[in-house]
Amino acid sequence: MFSSLLIDKNSPYCPGCGHLNVTLNLAKAIESLNIDPLDVIVVSDIGCCGLIDPSLASHTIHGLHGRACALASGISLAIENPNKKIIAVQGDGGATIGIAHLLEAARRNFNVTLIVNNNQIYGMTGGQLSGLSSENFQHEHANINESISPFNLIELAKSAGASYTCQLVGKGDFSEYLKKAITINGFSIIEILEVCPSYGYQKYSEIENLGFGTTEFTNERKPFKLNKAEIKSLINFNESKIFFESKLDKPLKIILAGSAGEGIQSAGELFARAAIKCKLNVTKKGDYPITVGTGFSVSELIISPNEIHYTGIEKADMLIAISQVGFDYTKSKIDDSTIVLADSSIQNINSSNKIIFDFGKIFGRKNSAVASLGTLINLKNFFPFEAFEDSLLESKHRDKFLPLIEKIKTFTSEINHIA
Amino acid sequence: MAPNISLIDGSKLIVESLAQSGVEAFISYPITPANWINQYSSKRFPIMTFAPDEITVAQWISGLSVAGKLPATATSFPGLALMVESINMAFMMELPLIIVIAQRLGPSTGSATVGAQGDLMLVNGLISGGYNIPVFSISNIYDCWEVTSKAVYTAVKLRTPVILLTSKEMIMTSHSIDLNKLPKIEKVEFDYYESDEKYIPYQTNKDYVPFYLPLTNNKHQVRINSSTHDETGTIKKATVSALGNTIRLHNKIQRRINEYLMYEYKKETSDLLIVSYDISAESTREAILQLNQKGIKVSFLFPKTIIPFSKELIEIINSYKKVLIVEENLSGLLTKIIYGINQPENVFKVNKIGSMITPSEIIKEVERCFQVY
Ligand code: SF4
Repeated sequence: MFSSLLIDKNSPYCPGCGHLNVTLNLAKAIESLNIDPLDVIVVSDIGCCGLIDPSLASHTIHGLHGRACALASGISLAIENPNKKIIAVQGDGGATIGIAHLLEAARRNFNVTLIVNNNQIYGMTGGQLSGLSSENFQHEHANINESISPFNLIELAKSAGASYTCQLVGKGDFSEYLKKAITINGFSIIEILEVCPSYGYQKYSEIENLGFGTTEFTNERKPFKLNKAEIKSLINFNESKIFFESKLDKPLKIILAGSAGEGIQSAGELFARAAIKCKLNVTKKGDYPITVGTGFSVSELIISPNEIHYTGIEKADMLIAISQVGFDYTKSKIDDSTIVLADSSIQNINSSNKIIFDFGKIFGRKNSAVASLGTLINLKNFFPFEAFEDSLLESKHRDKFLPLIEKIKTFTSEINHIA
Repeated sequence: MAPNISLIDGSKLIVESLAQSGVEAFISYPITPANWINQYSSKRFPIMTFAPDEITVAQWISGLSVAGKLPATATSFPGLALMVESINMAFMMELPLIIVIAQRLGPSTGSATVGAQGDLMLVNGLISGGYNIPVFSISNIYDCWEVTSKAVYTAVKLRTPVILLTSKEMIMTSHSIDLNKLPKIEKVEFDYYESDEKYIPYQTNKDYVPFYLPLTNNKHQVRINSSTHDETGTIKKATVSALGNTIRLHNKIQRRINEYLMYEYKKETSDLLIVSYDISAESTREAILQLNQKGIKVSFLFPKTIIPFSKELIEIINSYKKVLIVEENLSGLLTKIIYGINQPENVFKVNKIGSMITPSEIIKEVERCFQVY
């Protein structure tokens, strides 16, 4: 036999308060289940019922108003041993402000027992009504006498998926129900209707007259289990091999501008990987509106033989514009010295340094970003095209890129020929 | 050693550093610009799940912490705002947690995909009563590794929530970095209570920090309390012993700052010191390089342990005739933390909202500083 859960038999509550009987029944339940008090973690809320801690021999944790169930849920995430009993205690006020927490605990079916001490009144703050006060609740201290029907906590928890739900009137011995709640795997909620001689009902008969009795429901449902993903380091410490040389002697700032869905971000990534292969420092920044699936999509790329600190681009050395919306978003970052490589569909390019081609028609809209970057590398040779080729062939779209690489090469040699 | 260059973003480095430093659990609620951190976390921590809101996040990580699983989360201002009461709870309970704040343009919902440095005053005043929790700031890509690890160490050694303050451009930009430049990270050790004598949860010796004992142990009763409590963890009104316990929470953060103080300081023969942090420190570095090319020397100071703001840093700042503080917000939040509203005449500022401060904006102000007086 383990020692008693109750270490202090003096009541911390007002004389006649219903919380005392709940405390005694809880102690009886734990003792008759022969549970070691140190296998019990009581998580108490703010409110009169949260005064329970010093009475108990279990571990106790006293948190915020309304959050006991959430805190208990967090504890349950850390514990796999079903012999550990996590019991959250809150009042009707705490259950009202924290109602989302108990619905989530029920939905996930955390291994937690939640005791809701419902005396239909905020005791600690002077008798205000809660979301669990019944519409017929009449009392001189109930300072706002609104007649609103209460949440049916038990029905809510049941439909959210709790393993065990129970509502009862808190007189006499109800430890059997607490035993059930504590034993069942998964989330149990037990709502206990109570008296509060200071502000609420004085007698249990008054509560029974409102129609409350005992109801319980068991839901055959597995308790929550964490989905254990395979864990591995995010960094491959043996990644890079450097193959190529670049003649670049100062930073080069390139903007790739298009629309969502044109592969701008992934083309920027492939470019950055190619630059790394050439011993260059690189930074890559994505810019897009809040809804990533529509509007402009811009990749800002800086390559440099030196360390790059400031990763923004005030004036671009080169701008690749795939679509009008991307061009319009970035055109303030070009001046007359910027080399602009643009699709022929784009209007109003004020640069004397422009190269216009029909990328969309020649390579297809989806390939334009990669193809135009490849073309730029081929034309300007700031690093070898082979590095970009390597980067494309290492990607998961290798098969798609193989013919594209040939197409880029042919295309560039044709332009060079024309030039 | 030959360089080992990889393309990496700050979010990934932060998550990997958290994991290697000893974080075992990650709970979050989706929010831009912290989403990359959240995504990487789902593949990196043994315990990882999304919670239905940020109050729940803060409660779940507190529960994990008290049960012995070191937790972290990442959010932005709107999420932080919801967490404030729970962070106060964790501070009072003395639970180690790591909260990464990815700053974005406010006020309110602001612009989720625009960076900012707007939350320094909030994290400075987060705890009711003016207590501080340690706040770390990341001033370049390598800091995502080292400063993160220091934040984890501090959370565990001081038994406190800590904040890792960063911003959109810092953690959502990819950089080529030399992986061989990342120092090896040691997993932080918890100081557990090992005696057979009765455990008094908030009793400490002169280092101000109580021993750990998770709520899962079967040997000693553990009482944890968010309300005013004495060293036994029992709720008390403002008694002498309970107030003593509360005052200790202040002392442990302030008096042990040298254990977690991080900053970067480059002293030049110059009258001018530039102070900056987070993303603006990167613009400052670039501005200083460009100034050096013109033959102009200036010193710089980048606090990485930014709250509490150490006296050691104040001494450095006070040793200069002119100080220029660079940060991406409207009115100069770090300036207010250092000087209050009574900003001295020798203090200059570069402030801006909506986009990163550029090196040329800093250079312009430096040149103006040299003209004044
Ligand atoms: S105010 Fe009501 S609920 Fe609170 S202790 Fe007194 S009787 Fe109990």
